[in-house]
Amino acid sequence: MIDASAIRSRFAERGFIANEAFATALQLVLALDKPLLVEGPAGVGKTESAKVLADVLGTRLIRLQCYEGLDSLTALYEWNYPRQMLHIRLTEASGADLPSREAEIFGEAFLLKRPLLEAITQDRPPVLLIDEVDRADEPFEAFLLEVLAEWQVTIPELGTIRARHAPHVVLTSNRTRELSDALRRRCLFFWLPYPSLSEEIAILHARIPGLADRLAAEIARAMKIFRTLPLQKAPGVAESLDWARALMTLHRDHLDAAAVAQTLGCVLKVHEDQRTLDSHPEALGPLLDTAPETLAPGGHSLETDFGLGTVDRR
Amino acid sequence: MFPYSTLPENLAAFCDRLRREHGFRVGPRELADAARALTIVPLADERVVRDALRPILSHTQADVLAFDAAFDRFFHARPFNDHADPLQQDPELLSVPARSALHDAELDARSRFGPTQHVADAHVYATDAGTADDLEPGAVRLRYSPLEGEAPTPVLDPPDEEWRTAARALVNRFEAGLSRRWRPSPRGQRFDLRRTLRGSLHTSGEPVLPRWRARRRRRARFVIVVDGSRSMGESSIAALQIASAIASATGNVEVFTFSTAIRRVTPEVLRAAAGARVRLPALQHAWGGGTSIGASLKNLLQRSADRLLGRDSVVILASDGLEAGDSAVLRDAMSRLHRRSASIIWLNPLLGSSGYEPVAQGMRVARPFVTTFAWVGDVASLLQLARTAGVRA
Repeated sequence: MIDASAIRSRFAERGFIANEAFATALQLVLALDKPLLVEGPAGVGKTESAKVLADVLGTRLIRLQCYEGLDSLTALYEWNYPRQMLHIRLTEASGADLPSREAEIFGEAFLLKRPLLEAITQDRPPVLLIDEVDRADEPFEAFLLEVLAEWQVTIPELGTIRARHAPHVVLTSNRTRELSDALRRRCLFFWLPYPSLSEEIAILHARIPGLADRLAAEIARAMKIFRTLPLQKAPGVAESLDWARALMTLHRDHLDAAAVAQTLGCVLKVHEDQRTLDSHPEALGPLLDTAPETLAPGGHSLETDFGLGTVDRR
Repeated sequence: MFPYSTLPENLAAFCDRLRREHGFRVGPRELADAARALTIVPLADERVVRDALRPILSHTQADVLAFDAAFDRFFHARPFNDHADPLQQDPELLSVPARSALHDAELDARSRFGPTQHVADAHVYATDAGTADDLEPGAVRLRYSPLEGEAPTPVLDPPDEEWRTAARALVNRFEAGLSRRWRPSPRGQRFDLRRTLRGSLHTSGEPVLPRWRARRRRRARFVIVVDGSRSMGESSIAALQIASAIASATGNVEVFTFSTAIRRVTPEVLRAAAGARVRLPALQHAWGGGTSIGASLKNLLQRSADRLLGRDSVVILASDGLEAGDSAVLRDAMSRLHRRSASIIWLNPLLGSSGYEPVAQGMRVARPFVTTFAWVGDVASLLQLARTAGVRA
C-alpha cells in the first residue's frame, strides 16, 4: 500500500505539488476504493491530478468528458451499426444458420466501447477521470451512480460484464450546478483551493525549469494579490504558469510595470478585470520595480531593453 | 482530552455532532468508511487524521470550511475561529526574505482587500445557521446595524390550481431557443436511420415507418430574488408564493431572499410547490431587516453567477426598491445581471398603490436595466404579466 508521503514525492517528481491533505485523500481513494470528487476554482489542477495519478500508478487514464446532452450510450457502449449492416450484406450468401449469424453480429468485434465500459474491462485497474461532471444532465448523474455502485454493465445481446478490477475514479466539478447529495455521498470529497504562496513557488519551479527564484516569488506574490481583488475570473495556477513562460520568453528576470502591462493578457482574461486592476493601481504598485515617471504614454518603459538585457545609458 | 474512552465511540460521537450541529449528511456508510480510513493512516499524527476524515465526512465546500472548527471543538474543546483570515495563518508570507517595501505592500493590500472583504462577505451572505456565532470578535461591530432585525420566519402555503395555471402560462412565455441535442420525435426534421432500421425489424427489414429526430426546446431558468426586508411587509410572502407557483410549473428555479444578507431558499420553495405547508428556516439577516439590494445582488453574482445566469435565465426581482446602501453598487450589480440574463422582471408592490412613481434612488438606478416592471397581487395580474413579459431585444 502506497502511503501519503510516497504519493507526495511521486507527484512532485512529475511536477504536481500536492499538499498533505490532498495526498491523504488520494491514499484513501486507493485504500477504500471510493471515487474522489474534486471541486475547486478553475485552473487549480483538478484534471491534472487524475492524469498524474494514472502516471504514478503506471496505469491507463480513461477520460470521460461530460457535457450537456451526454447520454448513457455515449458513455458506455454502442453497436457499430454500419459495420453490422455491412457484415450482414457481405455474409448473406454464406449459408450459415440464423442463430450463428446473429451471434456473430452481436459479438465483441461490433461493440464500440465507450469510456465507462472501457474502464471496467481493463486488465489492471485504470484511473477513470470523469471530468466536469456538473456539465452533464441530472439523469446522467443518476445513471453514473448506478455504474459507480455496481461496476457492472448489462448489454442485452452479450450479457452482463462485471469489472475485473474496479477503476480508481476521480470526478471533477466546476460547480456550474449543484451535484446531487446521492453522488456526493458516494464519493470522498476534496476541495482543492488555490495554492499557498510557497506551494505556488514550488509549482512554478517544478513546471518551468530554469525560472529565476526572484521571478517565481514575485509572480506568486502578484497572484496572491490578484486573487484578493474583486475579479470576475480570478487567475488560477494555469495562468501563473502561462505568465511565467511569457515573462521568460521576453527575457524578464523580474516584474516591473512594463512587463506587467505587456503580459497582463496571460493573467486577466476579462476586459472588466483589467479595468478593475487599473482602478486599484496601489495593489500591485509596490511589487513593481519601475517608478511610474519612467513610463512613456501607453505604459511602456523608456528604459526598455527590448529583451536584450540591461541597457547601459552613458 | 477525548470525550469517550474508545476510538469508535469518539468517532461515532463526532459524526453525530457533525450531523446535528453542522448539518453534515453523515450516515452509517460515512462512519464505516471513516473507521476503515483510521485503520490505514497513522493515528499518532493529528493532522493526518484530520486530513483523512475531512474528505470522507464532508460533502460540500461549506462542509470543508466547517469541518476543522468542528474537529477542534470536539477533540480539543477549543473555541470556534473558522473565519480567521487565511492570509494571517500563512506564516510563509511573513518569513520569505524580501525587501521591506514589498512586504509592506502585501500587508497593505491584505488589509485593504483581505479581511474587509471577508467580513463583508460574512455580513451579507449568511450561509448557514450558526454563522452569526462563528465570526471573529472584530466582525461583530460591523455586523451590528440598527436597521437589522430578525422577524419570525414566514410560512409558505402550497399554490392552488389557479396560481399554478397562471404560473405555467408565464413559464411557457419564456420558452427559450432550441437545444443542440437531437431527440427522437414523431415530427422531427432529421431522419433517424438507426431507429428506422431498428423499427424495421417488425416488417422483416423493410423500413416502412421512417423515424425522425428533433431538437428540443431549452427551458428557461428562473432566478427569483425576493426582498424580505421589513419595508416590504406582507408583500414578501406574496412574492414567495409567486415563486412557489412558478416552481410548481418548472423545476428550473432558484429562489433567494435577502434583507441585509442573501440566502438561498430554493429547497423550501420547491417543497411548498410540491404541495407541503413549509415554514422557512431561520433566515437571520436575510429576512425582516433593512434593505441592501445592491450588496445582496453583488454577493449573489460573485458566488453563483456562473451557476445561475446565462442566455436562458429570467431574473425576477421582487422588491420595493427602497435601497439603503450605495446606489453605485446597485447599478453595477444590475448591469451585470442585465448582461448575463435574457430578461429582468422587477415586481414592485408599490406599483399596486395609486400615484406611485419609481423615483426612489434605488429604482431610478435599476430602472434602465429592467425589462418588465410590474406587480403581481392576484392571479389576474400574473396572467397579465404572462401576456406582456418578454425577452429583451
